[in-house]
Amino acid sequence: MPLWLLQVMGTNPASGVALPPRWGWYVILYFFVGGLAGGLMAIAAGLDLAGDRHDQEAVRLAHRLAFPLIILCAILLIVDLGRPHRFWHMVFMSERFPRLIFKPWSPISLGSWILTIYGAVAFVEFLGTLADPPGENIGDSLILSSPRATRVLHALQRRLVPVRERIRRWPSAVHSAWKIVAALSGFALAGYTGVLVAGTSNAVWHNARLMGALFLISGTSTAYALLTLLLVRRGRTAADSTLRKLGDGDLWAVAFELLVLAITLIALGPLGRPFWSGGFGVVFWIGVVGLGLLVPLARHWVSLGPGERAISRAAACVLVGGLLLRFVIVMSPQYPRVPLWHL
Amino acid sequence: MAKGFYTDTTVCIGCKACQTACHQWNELPAENGGRTELTGDSYDNTVRLSAVNWRHVKFIEQINEERSSPGLLQGSRWLMMSDVCKHCVRAGCLEVCPTGAIIRTEFDSVYIQQDACNGCRACVSACPFGVVDIGDDGKAHKCTLCYDRLQQGKEPACAQACPTESIRFGEVSELMQLAEARVAQLKDQNVDAYVYGKEDIVGGLNSFYILVDTPEVYGLPSKPELPSHNVDTAFELSGLAAAALAVTGLASFRKTRMDEMAAHADSDGTDD
Repeated sequence: MPLWLLQVMGTNPASGVALPPRWGWYVILYFFVGGLAGGLMAIAAGLDLAGDRHDQEAVRLAHRLAFPLIILCAILLIVDLGRPHRFWHMVFMSERFPRLIFKPWSPISLGSWILTIYGAVAFVEFLGTLADPPGENIGDSLILSSPRATRVLHALQRRLVPVRERIRRWPSAVHSAWKIVAALSGFALAGYTGVLVAGTSNAVWHNARLMGALFLISGTSTAYALLTLLLVRRGRTAADSTLRKLGDGDLWAVAFELLVLAITLIALGPLGRPFWSGGFGVVFWIGVVGLGLLVPLARHWVSLGPGERAISRAAACVLVGGLLLRFVIVMSPQYPRVPLWHL
Repeated sequence: MAKGFYTDTTVCIGCKACQTACHQWNELPAENGGRTELTGDSYDNTVRLSAVNWRHVKFIEQINEERSSPGLLQGSRWLMMSDVCKHCVRAGCLEVCPTGAIIRTEFDSVYIQQDACNGCRACVSACPFGVVDIGDDGKAHKCTLCYDRLQQGKEPACAQACPTESIRFGEVSELMQLAEARVAQLKDQNVDAYVYGKEDIVGGLNSFYILVDTPEVYGLPSKPELPSHNVDTAFELSGLAAAALAVTGLASFRKTRMDEMAAHADSDGTDD
């Protein structure tokens, strides 16, 4: 067996008996929304680097959504803390403020910094979308429905447009470097949540070394799906080139996800039982594997209805599957013998 | 010099004096508002270590399955063990704590600073022994090795209260010598005893045990690992996944454009 496969699968699984950290829906939703946000940033960077002018609507959509989503992530995480008002202890030393605390070997500490850096990148990109002419992007109608918000938006635009024009004149290498940083921050956000799961002493999570890869791929796949859904809602047809690009990208992502999930289950062996048996198993096989992976894959070969409708259905399945994947992975090893309706 | 506990489970009588002393000294609240709920699991009604039970006496009944036969107790035994935080030499909880609330003290014990803990629960999932727990106040709690008593030159309340010296407190290296001698003595008596908590268990435990059955029988892991053990590999594999997605994503975005450009060129050629 190749060495890398042995490393992935492990030869002698560890047997920690950690108590359940009582992760619930706040954490599940954070993992899901974080994956979405991370994936959006990475896809936007990819479309910026390799796409064309026609893809810019998708880029602007991703950039408009990323910042609100990361704010939602922060809210979910803060609310989940036992002492929410102490959230800043994650980044600053509480006894020696303003000294910073950073433990790169701890996924949760590293994650706090990834969230901070991603938040900064997403904020810059969000400001960029505010410099666009109002009415084109998602959320514009909400802003324009309020006279006060409209006045604020116009005032912001007067300041932002000249700044953006100056930035556009910067060398293309700087732009490319920025996009690579943005993509890396997105992948880091989507992936670290899985590493956080593997970096515990719960025997099931701990031995799933591919969890980071799985979450990263799933997050990117859900981001492809969200962009696809939004573009279809905005009138793009099945023949649209951006939709085709996103569809091709997601086909790869779903195929990778299926592969990584299969290796994870094989590697875990009987340890993985909480994922695939009992009530959680029903959700796993029908929701995650069937709905979330096989149906979107099948769309490329079997008709799921006419054009855009089939694309939307498959995208919705990917989103539901991505959420259910996190539900099963987070909840089943904590409460393996608890019926779903008692959670 | 590291201070710690040596718990000889072979002389534990299950009196729970350690649990009571710990509750009293640390002013730990009662569970369920003081209402006793019987578990039916031998004499154990506190079930596990928790935010309010920093000591927990386990009762393990190993009764001969052939209960109707004469001499029921032949081959049966009743194991007891007072469990506690292991104050690991390499502590998973301390390693992951993102706020710096968990520190190592001058006695080499592992201590949670309540002023800094924000209840993120990373330590709960990180402890391979299921020791750290979140209390009703939203903060993480566990045995402090009676840090306040140690600073006054006293020994921890549980060790002082133990009537059989099943729990001993002192320098870890000296305690280990005592434990080794005790294991040799037990082996002479044909008892298959061993020390749980040497360096093979996450680098060593400052609170270690003499056991006479497999660790699992006592609810302890036989092969615990630090939570960070797989983190580097997990990050590397995530990097590989990101690279694969980047390559296939860029190829998809560019390939479709190339296809279109080719189709466009073809149609232009046909038009001509």
